[in-house]
Amino acid sequence: MNILDITGLRVWYDKIEAIHCVDLKFEEGKITAIIGSNGAGKTTIINAISGMVKRDGQLFYKGKLLTDKSHKVVREGIIQVPEGRRVFAGLTTEENLLLGAYSLENRKEISGLLQQQYALFPRLEERKKQDAGTLSGGEQQMLAIARGLMAKPQVLMLDEPSLGLAPIITNDVFNKITTIREQGITVILVEQNAKKSLSICDHAYVIENGHVVMEGSGDELLHNEKVAHAYLSTTVDEIE
Amino acid sequence: MALQLTINGISIGAIYALIAVGFAVVFNIMRFSNFAHGGMISACAFISFFFQRAFDPPPPFFVTVLFSAVCGMGIALLIDTLGYRRIRLKNSPKIYYFLMSLTFAILIEQILTVFFGTDIYGFPSVFKSQTFEIGSMIFKTMNIVILAVSVVILVALVWMINKTKIGLAIRAVAINADTSRLMGINSSVIVTVIFIIAGVLAGVSGVFLGVQYGVFPSVGPSMMLKGFIASIIGGLGSLSGAIFAALALGLIEMFLTFFIGATEATVILFGIMLAFLFIRPQGIMGIIVEDKA
Repeated sequence: MNILDITGLRVWYDKIEAIHCVDLKFEEGKITAIIGSNGAGKTTIINAISGMVKRDGQLFYKGKLLTDKSHKVVREGIIQVPEGRRVFAGLTTEENLLLGAYSLENRKEISGLLQQQYALFPRLEERKKQDAGTLSGGEQQMLAIARGLMAKPQVLMLDEPSLGLAPIITNDVFNKITTIREQGITVILVEQNAKKSLSICDHAYVIENGHVVMEGSGDELLHNEKVAHAYLSTTVDEIE
Repeated sequence: MALQLTINGISIGAIYALIAVGFAVVFNIMRFSNFAHGGMISACAFISFFFQRAFDPPPPFFVTVLFSAVCGMGIALLIDTLGYRRIRLKNSPKIYYFLMSLTFAILIEQILTVFFGTDIYGFPSVFKSQTFEIGSMIFKTMNIVILAVSVVILVALVWMINKTKIGLAIRAVAINADTSRLMGINSSVIVTVIFIIAGVLAGVSGVFLGVQYGVFPSVGPSMMLKGFIASIIGGLGSLSGAIFAALALGLIEMFLTFFIGATEATVILFGIMLAFLFIRPQGIMGIIVEDKA
């Protein structure tokens, strides 16, 4: 079943159309990757879902029209973990996590949710009283993801989670993403690291200049000659 | 003598602190210097003056303070609705906020001048005994009351900012407004809360300034400058820095006024502000705030 169903999405920046009539479907409980080169419009798509940019088109969430007010989108359970982490420097790790739970009505759940995140990311518990701005890049990425999970998301949108991370930490992040899917959370993964994301996703879209140019399962795209050439900077033979 | 000067200085400093914090909270969230704050203070000084005189016997002082605080809140929300909201919705440049705040500051002062002239209205005496003695020292009752009320308000505010959910949200918006939206924080709610805080602070400082200096249309704008100096020295956007700087400023001013005179004292205060802008523009708390207007 599709938890999020988007048809005819358009986004403008001033007079320039950045996303041209895009249709996207996101299956519940799966990882859907959106790949493409820099400036293709990947981030714009999830910002449009989050209500962070003005948009046109129909966004159905669980069969109902999705609001375009950013704070209400969060309340609906659609959470974005933004590109570049954007942790709140100057606040502690724990305060950052508490902000993730800002939209929850039931404040009693919060201590349990904190424990869940600390179990998933033990480093954060060690650093809980530390200024989030002083964490390493990898720790900040873990914090950003944990902060997103604090909102009890039904859809978690991750924007370039591997950006600027060492390969070993990137692997760690991708492992956590599959763990998140196991919890039944729908994941939308925006990545430039096409190879990694195609290998863990269930379905993927390739975006170019604001259009969907290709879609398919992760495996299909991983073995597609065009994708390999354009995004994996390699050939299919080398992958196999 | 020194102790009395110290108490008086801290009492004046406490009013500056209320003003400086009112200034700093708006700057923190909106990233502009809200010069309309001075106009709000003047308006509240007049409101509390007429409120105090309207009843016979006059209402208890805390009722006047409370009434003025509520009116200050109303004026702040009105200014936001009439002026800033539109700029916010259009996402216009910061300089428009600055111009709008100056416009409101001048407008309020001129409206008050049209109705009441530039005369200084003496605030009716509030307490039966103006002074009290401890040993050989004489204290003004009002100084102690101002100090006590200001401390209570500032402590409550700092507690709210540091310990409550809405306070955490306010700090988050101050750090990064866009990311705060991704946390589900409704920025217009936060802006409203900020103007409520600023309005209450303007209302309370309006009464206190009226009582201490008399009521006249430019009482707010002229005293707001002291609050402005304090928030610059404290580091624009830092509440604890602003409070600390304001108290220090009150003390320095009191001693300078006593030893060399009021006019010279003001010149020296601005000299201190200039020195800070040269040497340590980020203020004593060292928080760097970009994009100021």
